[in-house]
Amino acid sequence: MSSWHIPDGLRERYLEGTLEPALAMSVDAHLGRCADCRAAVPHDKDWLEASWARLEAELITPHLSLSERLLRHGGVPDHLARLLSATPTMSRAWLASVVAVLAFAVLAARKQAEFLPAFLIVAPVLPLAGIALAYGPRVDPAYELVAATPMSGPRLLLTRATAVLAVAVVLAGLASPLLPAPPGLAAAWLLPALAAAAGCLAVSGRLPVPIAALAVAGVWLAIVGTGHFIGDWLAVFGPAPQIGYGVAAILLTYRFYRVSTR
Amino acid sequence: MIQIKQLTKTYGAKRALDGLDLTLGTGVTGLLGPNGAGKTTLLRCLATTLAPNGGSVDAFGLDPADRVQRTALRRRLGYLPQNPGSYPHFTAFDLVDYVAILKELTDRKHRHAEVRRVLAEVDLTDQAGTKVRKLSGGMRQRLALAQALLGEPDLLILDEPTVGLDPEQRMTFRALVSRLGESRIVVLSTHQTEDVAALCERVVVMRDGRAIFDGTPGELAAVADGRVWLSDAPPATSELFWRTADGRYRTLGARPPAADTVAPGVEDGYLMLLGEAA
Repeated sequence: MSSWHIPDGLRERYLEGTLEPALAMSVDAHLGRCADCRAAVPHDKDWLEASWARLEAELITPHLSLSERLLRHGGVPDHLARLLSATPTMSRAWLASVVAVLAFAVLAARKQAEFLPAFLIVAPVLPLAGIALAYGPRVDPAYELVAATPMSGPRLLLTRATAVLAVAVVLAGLASPLLPAPPGLAAAWLLPALAAAAGCLAVSGRLPVPIAALAVAGVWLAIVGTGHFIGDWLAVFGPAPQIGYGVAAILLTYRFYRVSTR
Repeated sequence: MIQIKQLTKTYGAKRALDGLDLTLGTGVTGLLGPNGAGKTTLLRCLATTLAPNGGSVDAFGLDPADRVQRTALRRRLGYLPQNPGSYPHFTAFDLVDYVAILKELTDRKHRHAEVRRVLAEVDLTDQAGTKVRKLSGGMRQRLALAQALLGEPDLLILDEPTVGLDPEQRMTFRALVSRLGESRIVVLSTHQTEDVAALCERVVVMRDGRAIFDGTPGELAAVADGRVWLSDAPPATSELFWRTADGRYRTLGARPPAADTVAPGVEDGYLMLLGEAA
């Protein structure tokens, strides 16, 4: 250990911050090794702790996934972005939505006439796949950790389902103009999609979410099958059924709300 | 204060909890029992992740059967499950941050400070940026414990918390849990009788969904008073015995010939109790 210590004048200039950078770094290095000189440097404990906390906050921060970064760039609050992007299945659900809509767009460009029925039948159940993968013991590897928190259950399901629905609806909405149909018909999937999502959430109190999604998808296929059976598959997208889908969406959302807050 | 009355949980024909009555107060309570005794089921019911079939739980005046009160209770508890699970792509910081969000800590600055605090509590500050999949088993267990400490919960539920910890980490864990138990209710399950002896003021031994013993570790040890022996030869009878490190035979039950009596430990009392209950 060196017997040399920082002279008073040098220390004063160091404390004033007027030393040349190279000299200041030399003093820093010496202070790191010499307890006597450190003791001679006055310091404010609170200031040091606050500085360390700031430094720690810079060094120890969350790692952001691509989907989380995209959400935050899109203006989603950081805590919400993390909730939505945490489970791998949610990201896959979103990816599946994008792939499905891209597939629809490609098909629409190539086989326009044959494509419309497929799109109208599949688009309403597209968000269900995402909702099924949004929350639950089978799809969330950390479900047991999550389940004991205040956000778990219907709150988390609703948050994620809304996000899935929003993405699916926006993407399907972007694909709609590609369809060879009047705007009204091209958007005829929207109310059935909302009703199906609300139905899935409403039933989720009694059934696991994936089963609820399958059940609702089955009901939708039965409705579409009815249209096919009566010889006019477009009938299930007509004005009267659309009112029915709208009313069903409102009632089922209300039902989910009641169950969630009971 | 937590009052459990006639709690029942069945899985098909199996009664995991069979009309359990228990009261839990401030301090560390250890649950001991063989596999299938109902420890994890009880802890899951307390943690509100599992609904019982019958009976009631009253925790701080809150009824977990009611959705609103259940949410209020979840704000006051920390839970380390037996199989916590994780997201391998997360870092240690990410995972605890995620649970902090689920615990409604939405203010980023406050939340991150809390995450750093609990990581420091379990000595994982240096691993904050490490991916969970790269952490050792002991580190993952400490990470799971860290998330349970978020928000300084009034009720801490720890299911097999010392699994995967090395002896030094176990000592640190005991010191941490003892300190936490000074001001809150801590209930933990374990197979390690030495953990119970070292840190629990109270021990509940469970078997077949019921509490067959409720007392201090000293009282549990006393169950085997006068029934623990050391001898140079193995006992001729079918008593429970094992060979010790110094080559003698430790027997529980009737005195073998030429055996010396030994002061019983918690494990002796526990084994004796299970033997009597069988």
